[in-house]
Amino acid sequence: MKFGLFYELSVPRPWTRDSERIVYENALEQVKLADELGFDQVWAVEHHFLEEYSHCPAPELFLTACAMLTKRIRVGFGIVVCVPQFNHPIKIAERTAVLDILSGGRVEVGTGRSATWTELAGFNASPDITKKSWDEFVRCLPKMWTSEKFEFQGEFWSMPRRTILPKVYQRPHPPMWVAVTTPGTELDAADRGLGSLGLTFGQFAEQEKRIAEYRRRVQLCEPVGEFVNDQVSTVNFLFCHEDDAAGLKTGRRMADYFNYLATQLISVRETYPSKSYPSLGLLPQLRRQATGPDAGEQAGEGLCLGGPERITRALKRWESVGVDRVNFLLNTAETIPQAEVLASLRLFGREVMPAFNGTKG
Amino acid sequence: MPLFGELELEAVAGALPRLRDLDTEAWELPKAEILQLACEVADGTRTLLPRALHPAIPEYVTFVVTRYPESPIGPFDLAQVRLMARAGVHPRGYVLGVVGSTDAAVTALRERWGYPAVLGEIVLRRYHDRVAATVRRGGEAILELALIDPEIVSGGDLQYIHAVTLARVDGAAQLIQVDPHYTLHSAARGRANVGRFDAAAWNAAPVRLTTPISASAATCDTDLPRIRFVMDPETPVVRGTRRVR
Repeated sequence: MKFGLFYELSVPRPWTRDSERIVYENALEQVKLADELGFDQVWAVEHHFLEEYSHCPAPELFLTACAMLTKRIRVGFGIVVCVPQFNHPIKIAERTAVLDILSGGRVEVGTGRSATWTELAGFNASPDITKKSWDEFVRCLPKMWTSEKFEFQGEFWSMPRRTILPKVYQRPHPPMWVAVTTPGTELDAADRGLGSLGLTFGQFAEQEKRIAEYRRRVQLCEPVGEFVNDQVSTVNFLFCHEDDAAGLKTGRRMADYFNYLATQLISVRETYPSKSYPSLGLLPQLRRQATGPDAGEQAGEGLCLGGPERITRALKRWESVGVDRVNFLLNTAETIPQAEVLASLRLFGREVMPAFNGTKG
Repeated sequence: MPLFGELELEAVAGALPRLRDLDTEAWELPKAEILQLACEVADGTRTLLPRALHPAIPEYVTFVVTRYPESPIGPFDLAQVRLMARAGVHPRGYVLGVVGSTDAAVTALRERWGYPAVLGEIVLRRYHDRVAATVRRGGEAILELALIDPEIVSGGDLQYIHAVTLARVDGAAQLIQVDPHYTLHSAARGRANVGRFDAAAWNAAPVRLTTPISASAATCDTDLPRIRFVMDPETPVVRGTRRVR
């Protein structure tokens, strides 16, 4: 099992001139430490207009800074929103390639389509077509990276024959992933030979079922890229403390606040009836966790909060249900002081990581 | 922490509906027809929203016009303007203004669920290319809206957000959660068009419509349920919610 970090870059009110700078600088310090501890990857999302929840509209810039500060950790560019009003596919291909060169071939690319009215309407994008445009984009990107010349006539974008420059450093190209929140999207990933970048928390039984189906389907895939990425990644919270109860309490506060901020967003489905968004995705689960039985003293199922032993047990369970990678949210809106976040990372590196293959303590 | 509403409770306290009690009985409301429009609004609506609630990001309102052909008090129509919000982690529509089509409906809605209902005329009509509603008071149109170019969708594609009213209960202002059930029989969506909206007539003077979001129309069996939750309008709902049953 491999471990990574996952950044939304949430910025609490009241906002001052320094609020965002502090959040970014803290994140960079965490990434530098994670690299030294042997974490495998760092992901940064693309979000727009999501007040407090995520101030991360240009992940490739943040990740470039990460790459410059580190030697080994891979940089996950995503979720890149594959909707033409947000990103032109040529620009995605180019920015990915530049980041791959600057990082020495450490890029992974996560693709998605946005799930909020706040963002889609902000770019005047119709929720009805995002699945289709995402599909068109992910089929083009590998060819744009690997073909000397590329041309395309599609439903959402077209271009005459040109040489897209620069080319990615990795050969044949960086691994590609799909953001999975809505049940069934993991099958879209599997059918295209793309990794499943899960963004839901907890629920072993449900995840085990979905991972098993992903594994079955990916065997039959028609890959959109030059190779199949059949990895399953999930996201989790991390707060590791010598005192299990203290770790649980602090971590729970962080997780609850993340859920609270996330549920302030306007999902597409809340405002805009569309077959393109058949479910509320992540939000019902977050609301249940924030208000249901899990909201008590016990951490939600599978969350990596508490002492090293508890966290190791949770991760072993995730490993047993088929998860290859776990990406951790380390903080929400700076609810945990930076020194404690760094101490949590160090303790995790010392006490938990050695229990898993492919990582060093 | 997300922003909160900034309603000065004292300024509206005198005009709030008065609930008889919290033992409101449920009404079954079969064969209802609902036209709902959502529209983004300009900044400045937080002064309408109780301090217990968070504004939506971006701020938006919904218009809900409903025909109830059967009810315990006979047929009636209802039009609502709601300012959309969050009660903690839950989306809710804070009811700003309500027009009912019969005296009995106005009285019952005020006394049982805390709707700030007033009497008016409501016309809800289906055409081949639109579903349109007009609401009048004192001979003046205060709301004209329509769903344009209806397209059949699954009932599962629609989501109705629960309402929250502000009323006096036992002498104190309380937020009342009204959370009906819906069994959808047919559903359509289309473009939203608001031809006229007299914001002041809906207790919504600061509301200025900007971007239409969506429109939907449905037929369904629904209800006005027993009251399950009340909230202190001045305290964040995480701390200020009380379960009634």
